[in-house]
Amino acid sequence: MAAVEALRRRSVPLLFLSAASLFCIALSVTVGSVAISASDLWAVLSGGGEPLHQTLIMELRLPRSLAAFATGGLLAVAGALMQVLLRNPLADPYVLGLSGGAAVAALLSMLSGLPPFIVSIAAFGGALGSAVLVFGLSHGRGSWTTTRLLLTGVVVSSGWGAVITFMLAVGPTEQLPGMLYWLMGDLAYARSPWPALIILALTSIILLPLGRSLNVLARGPMQAAALGVAVRPLEWSIYGSASLLTASAVTTAGSIGFIGLVVPHMLRLVLGNDQRLILPAAALTGGALLVLADTLARTIIAPEQLPAGVITALLGVPTFLYLLYRSR
Amino acid sequence: MLRLSLPPSLRAQRSNLVKSGANSRRLLRYARNDGGWRLAAAVFASLLLSSAQASDQRCVVDDIEHTVCLPKPAERIIALSPGATELLFAAGAGHKVIAAVTFSDFPEEAKALPRIGSYNRFDMEAIVAAQPDLIIAWKEGNPREQVEQLRELGFPVYHGDQRDFLDIASTIQRLGILAGTELSANTEATRFLDGIAHYRDQFQTKAPVRTFYQVWVNPLMTANRNHFIGHAITLCGGDNIFADLDRLTPRIGVEAVLAENPEVIIAGGMGEDDPSWLNAWRPYSNIVAVQKDNLFFVPPSTLQRPSPRLLDGIDLLCQHLETARGRR
Repeated sequence: MAAVEALRRRSVPLLFLSAASLFCIALSVTVGSVAISASDLWAVLSGGGEPLHQTLIMELRLPRSLAAFATGGLLAVAGALMQVLLRNPLADPYVLGLSGGAAVAALLSMLSGLPPFIVSIAAFGGALGSAVLVFGLSHGRGSWTTTRLLLTGVVVSSGWGAVITFMLAVGPTEQLPGMLYWLMGDLAYARSPWPALIILALTSIILLPLGRSLNVLARGPMQAAALGVAVRPLEWSIYGSASLLTASAVTTAGSIGFIGLVVPHMLRLVLGNDQRLILPAAALTGGALLVLADTLARTIIAPEQLPAGVITALLGVPTFLYLLYRSR
Repeated sequence: MLRLSLPPSLRAQRSNLVKSGANSRRLLRYARNDGGWRLAAAVFASLLLSSAQASDQRCVVDDIEHTVCLPKPAERIIALSPGATELLFAAGAGHKVIAAVTFSDFPEEAKALPRIGSYNRFDMEAIVAAQPDLIIAWKEGNPREQVEQLRELGFPVYHGDQRDFLDIASTIQRLGILAGTELSANTEATRFLDGIAHYRDQFQTKAPVRTFYQVWVNPLMTANRNHFIGHAITLCGGDNIFADLDRLTPRIGVEAVLAENPEVIIAGGMGEDDPSWLNAWRPYSNIVAVQKDNLFFVPPSTLQRPSPRLLDGIDLLCQHLETARGRR
C-alpha cells in the first residue's frame, strides 16, 4: 500500500512536468519570425500544408526545439548527478572541466577551418578527454576522494579557461563572433536532435534502477557502504554517465550555463531530495526551460538572434531566488 | 530568317555576352600584369560556361570553387554581409536585393532594405520565408552551420571571399552574370580596375612613405599586407610598417609603433569629427609622423569593405601620403 502511495506521489509531479514540456515544445513550434496560424500548423503536422510551412516547421523549428529539449535535459541530469557525486551544492556539469575541454577542442577546429560536423566531433572528444584527464589525475597515486576530484576538476577548468582566452586573443577578427557564440551556448549549431535525445533516453532508463543507491550515496559514502551499496563502482558509473551526458550536450549546443547548476536545486526545493524523482524531473524541467529560453532567444528581438544562454539565466535566476527565499 | 525572329530578351543577352567577352579579355590582360592568373581563369571559365548555355541558364564558379547555377537571372537576392550588399548594387543588381543584414548602410537604398539579422547570426525563418532565388554568403564572416543549412534547404548559395582588387572586379562580374545585369556589372568592374590602375600608375613608384594604419585603438590593431588597407597603402606608394605580420589585423603594442617610427599615421574607426585616436599619438614627439603633423583620418568604411568604394578611400589615402611627401 505504501509503495503504491509513494509511486503516486512521484508520478503526479512527473505527469505535470511532462505536460509542461509538451506545452513548451508546442509553443516553440508555433512561435517564430513567420506567423503560422493554428490551422496551417495542424495541416503540416498531419502531413500536408504549404511547402514553405513544412520547411519552417519540419526543417527549422521542430529539430531545433527537440535539440534544445535534449540539451537542457542532459545538462540538468548531469548537474544533479554531479551534485550527488561531489556532495557539493556548487557542482554543475562543467565543474570538472568538461566544457573547457570541449571548448578548446571546438575552437581549435574552428580556427583550423574544419567543417561544422568535425567541430562537433572535436567538442565531444575534448569533453571526454578532459573527463579522463581529471579522473586520472585525481586518482593519482593516493586515495580517490571527492575533494581531490573536485579540486583537480576546478584547476583543470581554469587551465582550459586560460587556453580559451589565449585563442580568443590571437584568433582572426572575423571568426571571433562565431567563437564567442559557441562559448555562450547557442542552439543555432544544433542540426540533428537525435543523438542527444537518444543518449538522454538511454541514460534515464539506465539510471532509474540506481535511484535508491543514489539516495543513500547523497548522505555520504560511509553510510552508503554501511547500507550495502558498492560505493566505488557507483561513483565511477555516475562520473562516467555525467561526463557522457555533458559531452553530448556541449556537442549539440556549445556550453550553455546555468541549467545544470540550478534546475536540480530548484527541483529539490520543491520536490524534496529523492533522486528517483529528481533525475527524471530534472530531465523534463531542464529540457522545457531550454526550449522556452531558445524560443525567446530567436524571437524576442527578431530578426536579430540572441544566444540561448543569455535567456536561461535571465529566466532562471529570479525563479531560483524566489524559491530559495520562500523555502526559509 | 530564324535569327531575325529571336526574342528580344535573348538578343539582348547575346549582345551582353559579346560585351562580357571583351571585358573578360581586358580583365585577363590586367591579371597577367598582376599575376592573378587563377582568378582570371575562373572568371573566364565562368563566362565561357554562361555563354555555352543557349537558354537563360547561367553558371559561375564562386570563391570556394563551387559552381553556382541558376535556371534564369536571379530576381530575389539576399545578401548576408554589408560588403555583399554593396557588391550587388555595384553589379547593377541592387533592385533585385530583397533583404540584407544589419550595417548594410551603403548605398542609401540599402538602408531601407528589410533586415534578416546580423552577418554572424541570421534569422533562418525570415530567410526561408522570403524565398530568395540567390543568397550571397561571406566565407569568412558567416556562421558555416547556417550557410550550409541554407544550401541543404535548396537555396542557391554563392560564397564570396574577396582578398584583392581583382577579386572585387571578378565578383562584380560574376554577380552580374547571376543577376542578368552583365552590362552594368562589367562597366563597373572595368571602371573599378581602371581606377586602381590610375592610382597605381600615379603613386606606386613614388618615394616610399613609412605608414602606420590604426584599425582600432583598444586593443591597438593594424592591418598586414594582405588586408585591403595593406593593398591600398602599397598602391599609394606607402610602406606599411606592419606589412609582414602574420595575421590580417594583428594586435600590437604602442612600443612596436614607436620602434618602427612611422612617417605617417592613418586612423580609421573613430568618427570624422572625433580626432581622439590621432591626438593620443601627439605626446610621442620622437615619432616623425608627430613631428611633421602627418596624422590623418580615412573613413574606415571606404577602406575596409571589399567594394568599389575602395577607390574613394584610396584617393584620400594617396592624397595624405602625397601631403606627407610634400612636408619632407
